Amino acid sequence: MATTTTATTTKLWGGGKSPFNVEYGKLMMWYFLMSDAFTFGAFLISYGTIRFSTNGWPDPNEVFKSFPFAPEGVNAPLVFVSIMTFILIISSVTMVLAVHAGHNMDKKGVVKNLIWTIIGGLAFLGCQAWEWTHLHHEGAWWGSNPFLNADGTASSTNFTNYFFTITGFHGFHVFSGVIINIVMLIMTLMDKFEQRGHYLMIEKAGLYWHFVDLVWVFVFTCFYLV
Amino acid sequence: MSNEAVVHAHGAVATHEGHGDHHHEHHHHETFITKYVFSQDHKMIAKQFLITGMVWAVLGGLMSVLFRLQLGYPDATFPWLEDILGKWAKGGRITQEAYYALVTTHGTVLVFFVLTAGLSGTFANFLIPLQVGARDMASPFMNMLSYWFFFAASIVMLSSMFVETGPFSGGWTAYPPLSALGDASPGSKTGMDMWLISMALFVVSSLLGGLNYIATVLNMRTKGMSMTRLPLTIWALFFTAVLGVLSFPVLFSGFILLIFDRNFGTSFYLSDIFINGVGALPNEGGSAILYQHLFWFLGHPEVYIILLPAMGMVSEILSVNSRKPIFGYMAMIGSLFAIAILAFLVWAHHMFVTGLNPFLGSIFVLLTLLIAVPSAIKVFNWLTTLWRGNIRFTPGMLFAIGFVSLFISGGLTGIWLGNSALDIHLHDTYFVIAHFHIVMGVASMFGMFAGIYHWFPKMYGKYLNNTMGYIHFWVTLAGAYLIFWPMHYEGLAGMPRRYYDYSIWESFKQFVELNRFISTVAMIVFAVQLLFLFNFFYSIFKGRKVTSLNPWGATTLEWTTPINPGHGNWVGEIPEVHRWAYDYGKDGKEFIAQTTPVGADESEHH
Amino acid sequence: MSHTVGHEETHGGGTGEIKKVTIILSVLTIIELVLGFWMIGMESEGLRLAIKGAIIILMLAKAFYIVGYFMHLKHEIKNLIMTIVVPLALFIWFIIAFLSDGNSFRNLRNTYDPYFKEQSTIKVEKKEHGGSHGAAAGAHADTTQHETKEAVETKH
Repeated sequence: MATTTTATTTKLWGGGKSPFNVEYGKLMMWYFLMSDAFTFGAFLISYGTIRFSTNGWPDPNEVFKSFPFAPEGVNAPLVFVSIMTFILIISSVTMVLAVHAGHNMDKKGVVKNLIWTIIGGLAFLGCQAWEWTHLHHEGAWWGSNPFLNADGTASSTNFTNYFFTITGFHGFHVFSGVIINIVMLIMTLMDKFEQRGHYLMIEKAGLYWHFVDLVWVFVFTCFYLV
Repeated sequence: MSNEAVVHAHGAVATHEGHGDHHHEHHHHETFITKYVFSQDHKMIAKQFLITGMVWAVLGGLMSVLFRLQLGYPDATFPWLEDILGKWAKGGRITQEAYYALVTTHGTVLVFFVLTAGLSGTFANFLIPLQVGARDMASPFMNMLSYWFFFAASIVMLSSMFVETGPFSGGWTAYPPLSALGDASPGSKTGMDMWLISMALFVVSSLLGGLNYIATVLNMRTKGMSMTRLPLTIWALFFTAVLGVLSFPVLFSGFILLIFDRNFGTSFYLSDIFINGVGALPNEGGSAILYQHLFWFLGHPEVYIILLPAMGMVSEILSVNSRKPIFGYMAMIGSLFAIAILAFLVWAHHMFVTGLNPFLGSIFVLLTLLIAVPSAIKVFNWLTTLWRGNIRFTPGMLFAIGFVSLFISGGLTGIWLGNSALDIHLHDTYFVIAHFHIVMGVASMFGMFAGIYHWFPKMYGKYLNNTMGYIHFWVTLAGAYLIFWPMHYEGLAGMPRRYYDYSIWESFKQFVELNRFISTVAMIVFAVQLLFLFNFFYSIFKGRKVTSLNPWGATTLEWTTPINPGHGNWVGEIPEVHRWAYDYGKDGKEFIAQTTPVGADESEHH
Repeated sequence: MSHTVGHEETHGGGTGEIKKVTIILSVLTIIELVLGFWMIGMESEGLRLAIKGAIIILMLAKAFYIVGYFMHLKHEIKNLIMTIVVPLALFIWFIIAFLSDGNSFRNLRNTYDPYFKEQSTIKVEKKEHGGSHGAAAGAHADTTQHETKEAVETKH
């Protein structure tokens, strides 16, 4: 792969090098994410299928309307979840900055931005933990749904079933992303990447982290907005 | 993820930018453990997959013999059965529970462990680096993990057979509500939990393997090995890996929802259920059809995951032993690609009578019948490759030809079953059993046997015994047709699958003799597979030694390695490739290896 | 594994672009939220549906910016882009088939399952503890389940 300069010239597929000019690890990460996209896709499509085969469905604005430390009975739909969304977007931005710093062999920049990303991830997990606890106190859990459909009829438990399963699976991805970022941070601090001469690992961790953000875009829309 | 660190440490071996370096010289001391157990050499991992697959094939085959015994001799008792199965064969007759458990485990094991892991696990690992010209897989470490996840899945599946309530018994498709409710049947208790754990581990294994295969084919080809110079085996294994990477996660999601339904009181798949002795269940609002959609979104591509590697190997073996270039190389790649795409668009043809919307069903009929086009292209190309060839009937070649025969016979009935109107009569009958066993089960086994006979000299540096090979082939081919051909008649007569005893049905009493005949042939065929196993293990140690580098006179790269290649495959530089893999009988030469530079006066060159 | 890979071809991935994309993503999210707030308490079913469609389009736009710029796919070689994007096209039929069959299943049940149809027309009394916490809510969920259970039994 020392032939980077000839990457755009003729024989891209001729063998003896990567046709994409990408090392195999990054390629595998991309295809792993493709695979994971199908996992989440299957979850969200199942959710859609059940919703389409059910007559009524709860109004998300009636369900997700509380806010931490706010007085009882506060009515603030969408507010808390928009904060969660922005936390994740900002952590994605700091991750890009970390990757960018890695390209420039800027160890300090990598460390600083990775720490911010980790904090963002933990903050998101904290928010999610609060929201789950709150909903659980209201009586919502797997197999129990205290909310009514938007039209006032009784709702099936599948509303909460899917909510907890899918946000849980996403939260698990955020959690593993945080762990990966912590490992990356430790490796950076130990000068592993300086010795190796490149920060390509950070790039792969970044791909994973952005994917987690990407999934949230879909989860956020499917559960809180539409 | 965190293993990436380790992977990179080995990266220098895995990549091959340094043609002609000293990679192969690293004679670091290998212990028994690193060489045979936790090996990172793709050839050893391939053999591990193969032998584990063989163990499962014997177990799965034995299960089929046991339940065929019940079907063939529904009234007889065999005291020795009680000796080996204990309470599962009280009084020498297999119990109904055990019968269903045997059928289920036979299906699961043969589909996933033998024909997925045992087939593409073996040959993708063995052939991809050798035929694209790489020293090993992109990530040997992940490759090793892939095998050990498969091993763990095997152990869990094996253990499930020894739990008190027995292994899972609701059919290999594991449809809820039967699979979701422990109260529904004994097999749906602990056995089902272990079944799910085992399958989840298997999905992980297949993902790790698949990512590796894709990255290796794309990134690690040697100099001059453009994609259109690849042998068709590699193309087939590549598409197989793509199918696995994109469809297994959907099954995984479906299983997670099933686990929640089983253990955490959800009702994703459950609604309006009344269990005898338990009463009505509170579950409301789920849809059992949803599980079937999720399952078959994997399930259909899975059929091609099983079939494509066999197709690829058969293409290669037919060409080598006909001493002719493969007919329609680009059409072969195109049809593989078309099959891979269509595989994702047709899943609901397994569900025509489940309550699927009939209009949606008609679209699935159209898409399903489209598969006949690329399949026919492949069949014609195989036949035209054989046409006027200088055919050498080696055992490998015979199995390859047998594959083509079986693929035609089984494929044609697929066109019947793809019609939703005919499916009203044919669904869940022995016609379906006959169809998929011929086209997917036996045909892929033939592809696998062809591959083993053909590449055994490369794997072990020995030949398999030809006489035993010929006996193995002819008995298996005749047996396969004798077993499954009559089932078409039974199916057309309406005989449903998955029943324990047909002799109590007035309409199917006429088939008692036929069932007995089928069971007898099944036992003979099983015995002949044991002969093959003997041949295999005997030849590893005592087989005739391979003395020339290229015993079949093939053009591909694996035959340029030493007879017993070490880790790293080539001594010295990895050879450069100058032509496609099918220059047979060109310009008066019998064959021209891929490594031979193009001559000045050579006719049209690929 | 020379590190020249991934270094040379970072053209177009500068901090300026990151800032630009951050702003775009934030604006898109804010538009989504505004649309979401607008929908609260809206009566017209048609307009709701239109807004939901708009939100989904905005969601796809956000996905495009994240994958294209943050995940850097826009700056990769075209072939890599194709190998990622083309398989995603499988989602089209995946979504259409699943959702339309879900819809068809609902129609089936509404036609042939009177109990199912009936349940979706009876209004349940508004629960008194909309925002309050406590075990009462859980207990209530349980009793609802028991009621449904009995209903099922009578049905059978």
